[in-house]
Amino acid sequence: MNGTLLLQTLVDGLILGGIFSLSAVGFSLIFGVLGVVNLAHGIFILGGAYLGLALKAALGLDPLAAIPIVFVVVSVIGAALHQTLVSAAVRRGSLMTSLLITFGISLIVRDILILIFGPDIHSLASVWLLNTFHVGGVVVDGARATALIASLALLGLLSLVLYRMKVGRAIRATAQQSFAAGLCGVDAGRVHTLTFGVSAGFAGASGIVIGMINPFSPFDDAYWTLNAFVTVVLGGVGSPVGALLGGLLLGEISTLSSQYIGSRYPNVFIFGALFLMLIVRPNGLLGNAYKGSV
Amino acid sequence: MGAFNPPIRAGFWALSGLLLLGALVLPFVLAPFHLRLAQQILLFGGMAIGWSLLGGFTSYWSFGHTAFFGLGAFSAGLLSQQLGPEMSVALRLLIGLVFAVVLTLIAAVAIAGPVLKLRGIYFAIAMLAFAEILGEISKTFDFFQGTSGFPLPTLSALGLQKVQLFYFLFLLLFVANVVVFVWLRRSRLGIGLICIGQDEDTAAMLGIPTERYKLVAFVLSAVLTAIGGVLYGYSLGFISSGSVFRIDISLNLILYSMLGGIGTVVGPFVGAAIMIILTQVVLGDLLDLHMMLTGTVLIAMVILAPKGLMGLLHKAWSRRRAAAGEARA
Amino acid sequence: MAGISRRSALGAMGASIIGSAALGIRRASAQSGGVIYFGGSLGMSGRYAETGLNIRHGYETAIKFLNEEMGGVEIGGKTYRFELAIVDDASDPARATALIQRQIDKDMSFFLGSYGSNIVLPCAGITEAAGKLTVQVGASADQIFQQGYRNIFGFFPRASRAWATSVEFFKSLEPKPKKVSIIATNDAFSKLNTQAAAAGCTGIGLEVLDLLQLPEQVSDASSALATIRARTPDILITTTVDQNSLVIVRQMIATDTNVPLLYQFLGPQLPAYRESLGSKATGVIMQLPWDSRLAFSDPIFRDSKSYVAYYNKNNSRPLSYHTVGASACITTYVEAMRKAGSLDPAKVRAALAATDITTAFGPVKFSPEGDGDPILMGAKIGQVQNGEVQVVFPTEVKTANLIYPTSNWSTK
Repeated sequence: MNGTLLLQTLVDGLILGGIFSLSAVGFSLIFGVLGVVNLAHGIFILGGAYLGLALKAALGLDPLAAIPIVFVVVSVIGAALHQTLVSAAVRRGSLMTSLLITFGISLIVRDILILIFGPDIHSLASVWLLNTFHVGGVVVDGARATALIASLALLGLLSLVLYRMKVGRAIRATAQQSFAAGLCGVDAGRVHTLTFGVSAGFAGASGIVIGMINPFSPFDDAYWTLNAFVTVVLGGVGSPVGALLGGLLLGEISTLSSQYIGSRYPNVFIFGALFLMLIVRPNGLLGNAYKGSV
Repeated sequence: MGAFNPPIRAGFWALSGLLLLGALVLPFVLAPFHLRLAQQILLFGGMAIGWSLLGGFTSYWSFGHTAFFGLGAFSAGLLSQQLGPEMSVALRLLIGLVFAVVLTLIAAVAIAGPVLKLRGIYFAIAMLAFAEILGEISKTFDFFQGTSGFPLPTLSALGLQKVQLFYFLFLLLFVANVVVFVWLRRSRLGIGLICIGQDEDTAAMLGIPTERYKLVAFVLSAVLTAIGGVLYGYSLGFISSGSVFRIDISLNLILYSMLGGIGTVVGPFVGAAIMIILTQVVLGDLLDLHMMLTGTVLIAMVILAPKGLMGLLHKAWSRRRAAAGEARA
Repeated sequence: MAGISRRSALGAMGASIIGSAALGIRRASAQSGGVIYFGGSLGMSGRYAETGLNIRHGYETAIKFLNEEMGGVEIGGKTYRFELAIVDDASDPARATALIQRQIDKDMSFFLGSYGSNIVLPCAGITEAAGKLTVQVGASADQIFQQGYRNIFGFFPRASRAWATSVEFFKSLEPKPKKVSIIATNDAFSKLNTQAAAAGCTGIGLEVLDLLQLPEQVSDASSALATIRARTPDILITTTVDQNSLVIVRQMIATDTNVPLLYQFLGPQLPAYRESLGSKATGVIMQLPWDSRLAFSDPIFRDSKSYVAYYNKNNSRPLSYHTVGASACITTYVEAMRKAGSLDPAKVRAALAATDITTAFGPVKFSPEGDGDPILMGAKIGQVQNGEVQVVFPTEVKTANLIYPTSNWSTK
């Protein structure tokens, strides 16, 4: 086996995985804290990308610089959606109805994106993208390497919030034992809304990163939601580290199966890994960060 | 079983008989488009009832029933190709049905063990993953001809038009689903399944063979869905991955059941009728907005009527009875 | 939700649904007075929505011109206006067939096909069985024209014949290329074109080095590109749709994967593609079914230049070849109706089969099976040069000289 090719494939998988991790962390948090599967996750990602596009067109803002604005805007929208629709659905029906409601939201937002931006593909360009560089015999895709760095930075930021700040403690407490947390003075409803909003914000921010790498259209949302599913199931629910691990695993499975088995097989292996993990260890490699086993 | 199930009232039989009679007459009075709508309502409404054999009774919501739908379609379709044009289409369809049922039986039993150990959302995702795997396999390996698709011969019989013939076939499948559902509800197995749906651990503690019961419901549901897939493939005349392995088929089955009322026999049919008429007739002409409106309807139904239309009717009915009771008191 | 009770909200919703359903069901019959309806569906949601929108604009422009600029068309002594009745099939064959059937029930006879062979094929079966006509600019799978259908016509030569010009082009290259690799995706369109391309290349003695197949939605082509770097061909063909082509080429640039000639079947035709790549797009080859500089006369619009001017006056969306093709569909229909002097589908069908005209899109002539004549309706070869598309082959119609071999990404 060609050593350089193997190294190249591993590096490609790592870099790809970084993007998957970032795109999944919001989904992971909502799942871990609220127990809700957010099928509108992919559309939040695209929303962020399109917002970046609009900011670039209106203000000439570089997409990487636009990340904080996009984060805030999408967070607010997410929080509003939770406050009005998602919590109502969860209250009225079971958690399963949240799947249907978030699906409905994704349909509506997608149509709005089409009405505003059209069904065409767009891409984001940033002047801060790194150029290609070579390390040993391995070619490193500069654009994706930039995305990886951005991903790690944002994941680190989220970890900081979750594990070092008071609001993060409140979120974790609500996830572990919402009743007991309530007894300690934490308003579970507010925390849920906050978490949903923040997670949506992270999805939007990751949308900018993704938009810089791949051209996007309003119909890509199902792809990213599905990827988030797989990442979370593989790596573990609720924690940024779980999302990182799951994403990297997903990236490696993708590139390794693509290179050594056949370039058309990655999807079969990805879903196969998902299925296998669900059978063997449904909570993922790191398990549920907040609760015990399922 | 007559012990704790009241005998079915004569009125119920009469109503069903009347409806069946009306359904049999429909193909000869409706325009082809409306007949196609009726076809879709019968097929997907029937499959939604089949879905609730598992989802309605045990609360195990499968998000991947399109796996069985596609499995049925592909197995029967590919077999039909192999059997060649010398054999009549009707015979090929029949053999294909048997083959599809056997294959789905094996597949369902194979995954039932590990998959039914998962609860709630994990079961849903596992079924989704299973459906995606089958879909990907059908697209990846050329043997299945999934990406390009392959045509199926036209079925004709009894001098009926194709549209009418398949209407009757779908009607047959619909009736089969209803019969199985009602029989299940009135059986010991069904009671056990409902207990599993309410509190699985307590049910197990009380001695209900949960594993076995879940397996039966799972397999029944899978097989009925596969039969739907076979008939659908023949009715379309064309099978491809993109037409039978669709995530929106899975979602629609759940949606129709939810809309009409999960756990009722009429609910999924009503839900299917409403959504299909809505999306094909009302929204069929709205080129730009139909997705948005579908999403809005979806959200509205989930928030305003989480127990479905049957649930609403039930509440209205019991409210009327309570009011009448109060008036008398 | 405060203030509005659940019940009244539900009641209002139910009433509006029933109301709109009632309105929907009561519709005028299709061929009333002097109006001719063009029926059909397009995938307005889903991966091909972009092309669907381009096609729709083409139809609308042609019909607007016919109604407003010409005041209708005289056919068989009576003047008719036209109306478009396109529905969204969401790229779902079940939805498409049901909605087409509905239009047939309403007595529509003239259909415009959808985009994508997996939709057009089942729909063609339905229109054929009902004796209705379809002229389409959205699918070229051989299967469609091998069913023995007599009522379907397509604007492109069937997929297996669509690579004739490209193969001639490869033959004309100096220095002679020896090896070609193809990157395809796992969908019908890509697979068909890959087969045709590979067969054509082998036919002229090119060695097909690698045939790499990616999943239908490409997010990462790193392993395929690693193979290309290891075994570099003289020509790299990607038989992918626009979005996938763009992902692949951007990753090629970012991983410094260089080939002497990059041929992207779909993609470079879009202004968004060229904008995204900037100066790096120079040198990429594409299939060019139509270019605004190719001058053709047109029986309705007078000539291609006037067509382009009229289109740009009435649309802000940039022109794509699908748009022109779609307008030409309508032109072809109208000319056939005029020639037949009647709206009887059988007579119009005969006139369509005998079509031999020139439109703004170019010559229109159908083979006996209904697909486009491979010589007259075959695509040209285009190349991006300094952000613009130039026709580089056949040499008789070229607008610029070919750049071959192309330089490395880093120097562009």
